Amino acid sequence: MSTWLRSIWRAIRADGLALTGLGLLLGIITIAAAAPLLAPHDPNEINERVEGVALLYDGASWGEPEIVADQPLNAATLLDDAGGVAVGEAGRIAVLADEEWEDAAPVTDASLVGLDADSSTVIAVGAEGTAVHGQVASAPEEWEVQGLDTDAVLRDVSVAGDEAALAVGDDGTVAAWDATHGWELLDSGVDAHLRGVRLTGPGEGVVVGEQGTVLAYADGALDPVPNVTFRDLLGVDVADDGTVLLVGERGTILRHPPVTETGGELSEGGALGAWEEMRSPESRVYEDVRFLGGADTALALGERGIAVGLEDGVWERVDTGYSRSLLGMGSADGRVLAVGTEPYQNELAAPSADHWFGTTHLGRDIFSQTIWGSRTALLVGGLAALMVTLIGTNIGLIAGYFKGRTGGLLMRFVDVMYALPLEAFALILVLIFRPSLLIVILAIGLVTWRTTARLIRAQVLSLAERPFVKAARVAGASDWRILYVHIMPNVLPLVFLQLAVAMAFAITAEATLSFLGLGPPGVYSWGGILHEARLSGAWRVAWWWIIPPGIMIMITVVAVFFIARALEVLSNPRLATKS
Amino acid sequence: MRSYLAARIAQLVLTFFVILTLVFFLFRLGLPDPTSALITEGLSQEDIQRTRERFGLDLPVWQQYFVFLGNLFTGELGTSFHYRAPVGFIVVDRLLNTLAMMLPAILLAYTLGPALGVQLTWKRGRGIERGGITLGLILRSAPVFWTGMLAIFVFGVGLGILPTSGMRTLPYEASGFFDKILTLDFLRHLILPMLVVAAYYIALPMLIMRNTMLEVIGDDFIEFCRARGFSEARTMYRHAARNALLPVVTQAAVTTGLAVGGQIVVEVVFSWPGLGREMFQAVQTSDYPMAQATFIFMAGMILVLNFLVDLVYGRLDPRVADASVRS
Repeated sequence: MSTWLRSIWRAIRADGLALTGLGLLLGIITIAAAAPLLAPHDPNEINERVEGVALLYDGASWGEPEIVADQPLNAATLLDDAGGVAVGEAGRIAVLADEEWEDAAPVTDASLVGLDADSSTVIAVGAEGTAVHGQVASAPEEWEVQGLDTDAVLRDVSVAGDEAALAVGDDGTVAAWDATHGWELLDSGVDAHLRGVRLTGPGEGVVVGEQGTVLAYADGALDPVPNVTFRDLLGVDVADDGTVLLVGERGTILRHPPVTETGGELSEGGALGAWEEMRSPESRVYEDVRFLGGADTALALGERGIAVGLEDGVWERVDTGYSRSLLGMGSADGRVLAVGTEPYQNELAAPSADHWFGTTHLGRDIFSQTIWGSRTALLVGGLAALMVTLIGTNIGLIAGYFKGRTGGLLMRFVDVMYALPLEAFALILVLIFRPSLLIVILAIGLVTWRTTARLIRAQVLSLAERPFVKAARVAGASDWRILYVHIMPNVLPLVFLQLAVAMAFAITAEATLSFLGLGPPGVYSWGGILHEARLSGAWRVAWWWIIPPGIMIMITVVAVFFIARALEVLSNPRLATKS
Repeated sequence: MRSYLAARIAQLVLTFFVILTLVFFLFRLGLPDPTSALITEGLSQEDIQRTRERFGLDLPVWQQYFVFLGNLFTGELGTSFHYRAPVGFIVVDRLLNTLAMMLPAILLAYTLGPALGVQLTWKRGRGIERGGITLGLILRSAPVFWTGMLAIFVFGVGLGILPTSGMRTLPYEASGFFDKILTLDFLRHLILPMLVVAAYYIALPMLIMRNTMLEVIGDDFIEFCRARGFSEARTMYRHAARNALLPVVTQAAVTTGLAVGGQIVVEVVFSWPGLGREMFQAVQTSDYPMAQATFIFMAGMILVLNFLVDLVYGRLDPRVADASVRS
């Protein structure tokens, strides 16, 4: 056996193409063996994609949604000079200046959730008590991170002039800032997560939170407003005349008329007792609300891109042209900057750094599927080829040696096999049984051994007449001994050649049958990937979906063909001397 | 020769008989009562009873087997669950559609392929031979359904210059098969699938031709041709190629036989209403009579064509018939 391996190696080494083929095949085998390491994604995983999107409303119409950051954006604010800032996950800060967005280098890794600007001060707050202070005029890279003495997530911040700010967050966290003392935690007296804050002056404002929490803020003290609602409140805004709007889950919109009209103060919780529940055209979550100029016009945004506008005392749907969640907004002079997005299914994405071969219509990673597919190809191709060679060689040997009735009967059997169309036979097997890898292997293995049997038989026929066989017979060797000990070694070169040819054929056949959908669901194979692409109909746009699996089939089969050519010379030396 | 013919025909009938037996038991194994599928289709009890009687389904299995054979000989292949029509006519129509695509493709591959094979032998030892062999092996390695998809992608979707599905632009009216295919519209539909199949098939005759040519050009009569001063082209094409053509002719017939049942994928990709696609759909809709009939037709076509190969081969090379008769 080892002499045969050595002569095979010599034949391959002598042929450049065969060496190339061997290299390619070893590469594919390595890929198959190391598939879990090489595949960057789970081939079944539905990959998601996140990005920060900004939408501008210029007072008359909405602009196109623009991707301005590679992370979802949580909050935004518009500056007086027509510029804007948005902050988001992983410390993302995007700056709008001269109608151009710039994704600035983050100064912190923490998620930034709240943002506000007034005069020249910008403050962003976020996870783990992070606060980022900056000047409107300075580049975000120069903004300064200040840690608050809390681990809670800060959800919103409101800035009043350059001297004061108020931040609120989870577990009833409230922190006040002023230019001389810095940040200071306040006792809010509540445990609920606080979600929104709006200052109307350096020491006056309104805070809202989950479970209907509303707090009136005045000079370092918080006064609860009782019995407003039991629903979660997520956004608050106060108009110049003192009108208050609150928005929250399940389409909640609450309005309070200016307290000055009733003779009270905004900072007195008890004074806010005349809430009016407004009719909402949506029943989803509103994330935030802003007045647009006066107290009569306002805009609320929320989940799944819903947007409603207040006009003449009635809220109506506004079409923003965007369908994913809007998480934060800022307004100035009737203009609005809205930002948001949620992770969404990354379907039919073109090749990128994350997905080298793009994604399928379900957002699955094609590169990983292709890598895993090599296992199926080699497993099915290898096992089927072994089965073909085993059956074909033995039938060929026996039919060639026992020429009489046995041989004739076997060859009639081979004739029957020749009449079976492979794909059709496999289809019938699947119709009767269930799709599985075993059916694919059996279909290939049971049908295609016919060629091997015929070729081996032809060679055995001539070998059986040779003197060494006669000598063995005279020496008293049994038929089986002559067949398997004396004749078989002489047909081995042809057997190896047929093994290679059968393997090339089996890999193509596996791909073909899988392409017809005969493979088991959930097992990735190159043909199966193409089957799914065809079934989805999306392959007519997604070229990246059909090219990789086909190339892999081609490379594998061509590699085996190249090797087979060298083995052909081994079994038929005349080819070598002639060419 | 006559006894050879008789022996081959007997063998053909026997083989077909074995295939029919195989098909019958394979299908009965999968579906013990074929009418069970009809009940869900909302057929009346009387219709089902009539079907049962026609196929002898109330009889023991071995008697059913003879009813099955008897029906086959009278051309009774059953009624398609899907079309609610006799299977026979549909299958013949689909077979013609398949041939309308496969025969031109095979003709193209088996005229161009051997010519290229001669060219490779002529230019042996040069880069062009190596390149030709590599290209041939690559064409043979590319799965035909994949090249079909690529062709549709480039010429159908991308450039939009060729139709990519079906035989004719729908809706169309045709009174018969030839009325259907003798149109420009059909030719436009034919181009892509035909070229894809031809590209896949062309490598084999090319490589076979080259291999046999290499053996032939070492023979004495080639030396003699050269000695007589024939041009290299005349030596190659008229004298060497003729003697190397035999294996190619064999392969052509074998390929034709397999192409009838073997290129289901091409028909599926190009939505070509042929035998293969019909069978694929029959399997998907569990239309047992249709699947059974298409399979029998495919196997029959392969058998008949293999039989013809042997006859032609016997004519071209009398040693074959001689040897077969003696063995």
